[in-house]
Amino acid sequence: MSEAGSHLLVRAGDFVCALPLQSVRRVMRALTVHPLPGATAELKGLSEFAGEPLPILDLARLVGAPPGASPAFPVTIVAWAGPPEARETVGLAAEAALGVVSVPASSVVVGEGGFVVGEASVAGDVVRVLNLEALGRR
Amino acid sequence: MSRPGYLLLRRSGALFGVASAAVLGLSRQGAAYRVEVAEHGLLADEVVGVVENLDVRPLAPLVSRYWPEASGGWAVHAGAPVVVVDPCRPPRALAEGETVDGE
Repeated sequence: MSEAGSHLLVRAGDFVCALPLQSVRRVMRALTVHPLPGATAELKGLSEFAGEPLPILDLARLVGAPPGASPAFPVTIVAWAGPPEARETVGLAAEAALGVVSVPASSVVVGEGGFVVGEASVAGDVVRVLNLEALGRR
Repeated sequence: MSRPGYLLLRRSGALFGVASAAVLGLSRQGAAYRVEVAEHGLLADEVVGVVENLDVRPLAPLVSRYWPEASGGWAVHAGAPVVVVDPCRPPRALAEGETVDGE
């Protein structure tokens, strides 16, 4: 499986999302999150990773997913976000990391673009394919 | 001679750092603390202490997108993230008489 098409499947609320594997730095048990008063709902708060401060974003909110039956965030995906020349490290709070799959670009039904590139079918399930390089673009 | 270090404050669960040199006064205000800086009064739930040094970096642009406040940067102290306050433009979360989401 080539890394270019490899994605990490993550459950976020009622959605399953596919994150490009090349953007994923680490999958961890949930990091301790310190709330940041005044932040929008997408920003759950701040944490610490490898001695550096780390923003923790609510992946379900970012993709507009309805909250799951048991909305908890047991997993933090530490990933690169933004364009390669200005990438930042971000933590994505999610409900589960499900595994690595290949999502060929040709299988993606492209939507409006941006952070959610489009949808693909993986083992019969609809998966939202994400572009972390677009995260944070206004 | 300016005082080195940062005064660490906790407010609504978040840790903020204020350069000691910018602190003009500190007093109790009911159960809270009032920190006087520049032309502003800051409210804190807890005064955590003073640290000699913080490795302060510019706040990540991604944070600014979801937390539209001025800041002096951010750092980590004892495993916890610290938002450094710009004394001239403190975040609303620390301002007297302000309530913010989550409070």
